[in-house]
Amino acid sequence: MTLRPKVLVTKIGLDGHDRGSRIVAAHLRDAGMEVVYTPPWQEIPAVVKLAQEEDVDVIGISSLATDHLIVPRLMEALRAAGLSEVGVIVGGIVPDDDERALLAAGVARVFHPGSSLADIAEYVRELAARSRSAKFAA
Amino acid sequence: MPMWKPGSDPEAIRRGDRAAIARAITALENEMPGAAALVDALAADAGRAHVVGITGAPGAGKSTLIAALLAECTRRGKRVAVVAVDPSSPLSGGAVLGDRIRMSEAAAAENVFVRSLASRGHAGGIARTTRRIVDLLDAAGFDLVIVETVGAGQSEVAIAELADTCLVVCPPGLGDDVQAIKAGILEIADVLVVSKGDSELAQGTVRDLREMLALRAKRDGWNVPVLLTSAARGEGVAALLDAAEAHVQACGRARRRVRVDAIPSGERTPTAQLAARDAFARHCRIEHVDSGAGRAEMAMTVSAEHLNFNGTCHGGALFALADSAFGLASNSHGRVAAGIEAHIAYHAPAREGDRLVARAVEVSRAARLATYRIEVRRASHAAGELVASFTGTVYITARHHDAPAENAPTRSSRRSP
Amino acid sequence: MNKPLPTAVPASTEEARIRWTAEYAAQLPGEPEVRNRSGIPVKPLYTPLDIDAGRYDADLGFPGEPPYTRGIYATMHRGRTWTQRQLIGLGTPADYNARLLDLLDKGATAVSLIPCNSVYRGFDMDQVYPELLGTCGVVANTADHMDTCLAGVDLARTSCSLNDPLPFTLLAFMLAVAKRRGVDWKHVGGTSNQSDYISHFVANHMFFRVALPGSRRVLTDHVAWCNAHAPKWNPVSVVGQHMQQAGATPAEAMAFTLSTAIQYAEDCIAAGLAPDAFLPRFTFFFDISISFFEEVAKFRAGRRLWARIVRERFGARDPRSWRFKFHAQTSGLDLTRQQPLNNVARVTAQAIAGIFGGLQSLHTDAYDEVLSCPTQFGARIAVATQNILREEAHLTDVIDPLGGSYYVESLTDAMEERIVEIMDDVDAQGGMYAAVQSGYVQRRIGESARAYQARVESGEQTIVGVNKYAVEEDASARPALPKPDPALMQAHLDAFARWKAQRSQAEADRALAALARAAQGRDNTFGAVVAAAIAGCTHGEICTTLRRELGFGQPLVVV
Repeated sequence: MTLRPKVLVTKIGLDGHDRGSRIVAAHLRDAGMEVVYTPPWQEIPAVVKLAQEEDVDVIGISSLATDHLIVPRLMEALRAAGLSEVGVIVGGIVPDDDERALLAAGVARVFHPGSSLADIAEYVRELAARSRSAKFAA
Repeated sequence: MPMWKPGSDPEAIRRGDRAAIARAITALENEMPGAAALVDALAADAGRAHVVGITGAPGAGKSTLIAALLAECTRRGKRVAVVAVDPSSPLSGGAVLGDRIRMSEAAAAENVFVRSLASRGHAGGIARTTRRIVDLLDAAGFDLVIVETVGAGQSEVAIAELADTCLVVCPPGLGDDVQAIKAGILEIADVLVVSKGDSELAQGTVRDLREMLALRAKRDGWNVPVLLTSAARGEGVAALLDAAEAHVQACGRARRRVRVDAIPSGERTPTAQLAARDAFARHCRIEHVDSGAGRAEMAMTVSAEHLNFNGTCHGGALFALADSAFGLASNSHGRVAAGIEAHIAYHAPAREGDRLVARAVEVSRAARLATYRIEVRRASHAAGELVASFTGTVYITARHHDAPAENAPTRSSRRSP
Repeated sequence: MNKPLPTAVPASTEEARIRWTAEYAAQLPGEPEVRNRSGIPVKPLYTPLDIDAGRYDADLGFPGEPPYTRGIYATMHRGRTWTQRQLIGLGTPADYNARLLDLLDKGATAVSLIPCNSVYRGFDMDQVYPELLGTCGVVANTADHMDTCLAGVDLARTSCSLNDPLPFTLLAFMLAVAKRRGVDWKHVGGTSNQSDYISHFVANHMFFRVALPGSRRVLTDHVAWCNAHAPKWNPVSVVGQHMQQAGATPAEAMAFTLSTAIQYAEDCIAAGLAPDAFLPRFTFFFDISISFFEEVAKFRAGRRLWARIVRERFGARDPRSWRFKFHAQTSGLDLTRQQPLNNVARVTAQAIAGIFGGLQSLHTDAYDEVLSCPTQFGARIAVATQNILREEAHLTDVIDPLGGSYYVESLTDAMEERIVEIMDDVDAQGGMYAAVQSGYVQRRIGESARAYQARVESGEQTIVGVNKYAVEEDASARPALPKPDPALMQAHLDAFARWKAQRSQAEADRALAALARAAQGRDNTFGAVVAAAIAGCTHGEICTTLRRELGFGQPLVVV
């Protein structure tokens, strides 16, 4: 039985524009992945709980306004819950110096507008494989 | 494939550790080695949860209703787990698991655990491994385990195999849609719910459904109620939970009460097909509950004809119950196996009305011999009190079970000693 | 709609057409069909054969009278140029006021205010993570804050667009400020820019605060209240922008917008208002994509359709009810992060399309809009762009300059046909309210969004600098992004806490209780919101009260 990547696509913070995240979720499904999709405005503790219960491999955060500014809080909450092996990517509008800060906080990669869906799917697959090995090796 | 080591997990599961439960579910979902054994190791802790299946056509409002039910359970201080099944894409094999969209707030509560599963092509919309996942959640101590599945149709009777209580959700205006009323949906319902009660059509649908039910014979003496809910207004949800509880009080916590013959034969597992051919079990009113490699579960409600002259359940009936589980478990690997020795010990009397469940596990299996242990428990009891314990040994022949044809003459699968 | 037969065309034209068609096919055999975003086929050439010149009066007419295709006013931009209304919002009220006065000084003629996302979600500043405050809009939670925002602005003479969805607390604060300054509410003019709760439910979710039935009630109350107390205020702005940005094609965006406007009109009529009492104050707000001619045709078709709808469907008799007044904003979705200065060219093209489409009010995006909230530098170029188009390129010297173009008239007709088809589909669903409740509109928009994405991914739709003509870029060339000064924002938070501690809690509580009673009963909820604003209630308190009584707004998310 193949292990399909299990991916959470969500939005935290205040913004509600979700056209991009819905397109990404549908594409990941078409690429054979199992995607848990939530509405926008998820609270950070709820995201951590969900990631744990669903045993996700990768979390994709969509951020079009400035909600990426609270992603470091999410990274900290994931660490505190013992979920450091879950890969986190951020997609959306992120200025360059903020991108550096996100990567420093543990985000695996930031995807900017104009990124191809195929690239995103391929990267998510790699990240999921790494995450799975880390989870089950412990 | 990465190896999953169950290790210390059984204790963590019993404690309700969220991470351990989640990992175990992943292992079960992907049928990793060791996962099934973990569930078997926890068998003694299972049997307490009320398993509620919720099904209905897409757009009927199941997820919104479940969100309201979760809130009600939280108010009542109950621990609830939800298994939400969504269909996998037949083209890519992937899935968007969107049930959490409508449950997001309710799912954040501490006492709630929600897991989404993709159907992965299993007909009937129930992931093949859902049963074990439900057992795991049962053992983890949840009071209520809700299983939500996709769609509704003839193959949806599969959910009834899994649940103590089956809720079928209908959107208003269903009366016009004959398609949805076709075989299966009304058959399996223990409680019918008309959702979106604020709609003008809702009352009419309630009436239509009540009329249809009136034409049907009652099952197990249970009158199927038709309830109206409006999740938007928060109405009818408490009454729904009460009705589900009333059902399980009346009809017992032994799940999977649906007759195997209600399920199209093409969809039954191989062991279920064998069970369907056990004439004596049927005669004794012993029901097939579940079975798989090296394991089986059979159930029986003690009725008047099972009693001895002391007014308790006849030892022979208990033996027959345990023995049918024994036979199925030992024949589950594809080879014809014949019982050569069996022993039973009776621990507590069973009385009329008791719902008894016999669970068989494989103790050892070599090339020619295998041993099984069967426990008969009073499933409706909170602790699943042990009524009898049975051990048996089989001789494994070289013959294989044929793929059974619908009209094949019933063959005994065991040689008489 | 049946296409009218063209009036007799000389034989020589037909012969020339045949010659040209053969020559074209010889040079470009097997050329694939070109379709615009709405799916309408676009030919390489349009001629008198494509339009019926004899139908000028019926289909085009003169500006300022039915069918209004060429413009809603006789003089259009020659008489009164479009309102230059740049959206702004950032940081604290003092920051906003400084930026506003700068813009007014540099030629902008009206005020627009974008509140912080925290405000959109119905929260006060002390209810969210502080790093999110003021990054995309101004943090205004009280009447005092609004006073600071609008310091130095003559409320009796300046048109103010408030981008605040229902229950329109920001407008309530502004009215409270007007009252303090002795400005009669009858003189207050502007628009409730985000009053279209249906579009928020469908596409711009964070604005959607109160459950659908409650929203329906509050909007209708708002229209009735403004009608009676603030007659110069436009309480309804039906927003096609949200849906187009969520992926609707231009035809779908116009169709869904018109259907929504019909729904609101029906709700107002059901509440006892006469059509001519509220229709003159209906306005529209559209996205302008870079599909140039399609946008021009979209606006012209919409204008023509709306005029017909209000007369035929609602029996409106006042010509002011027939006018399709709209504000348009250049679409941020066509802008790219790669080579951001290219966006100046894009915004210019979009703006021209909007001007030729006959808008009444225009916002041009700053080139750096797609990097985050725009800088002052970018905002100035955006305003200058409008001035250049008007005064250097003289785009407004002629009304409806594309009118009569064989292509544009043909496309206007085709867009109208497509729009009507979609509106009929919505009618079949039981109207726009029912169609969004069931998810029909959301699913349709989602499909269009996916289809467009597929075209971009495959390269069928070029995005310069992204999927074609990409160049190596110097990342350091991208400008730094403005963030509110954390110290100032903290000071703002502290001041807010102090203010709450010293205001009359009893008065605020009384007003909130009255608001709750109004929601439970049948009194005008917006009137109660205004009273609460005057009594010192905060934005968060007002929103929370209404959400509690009327239901928390959860949009329908359809993947």
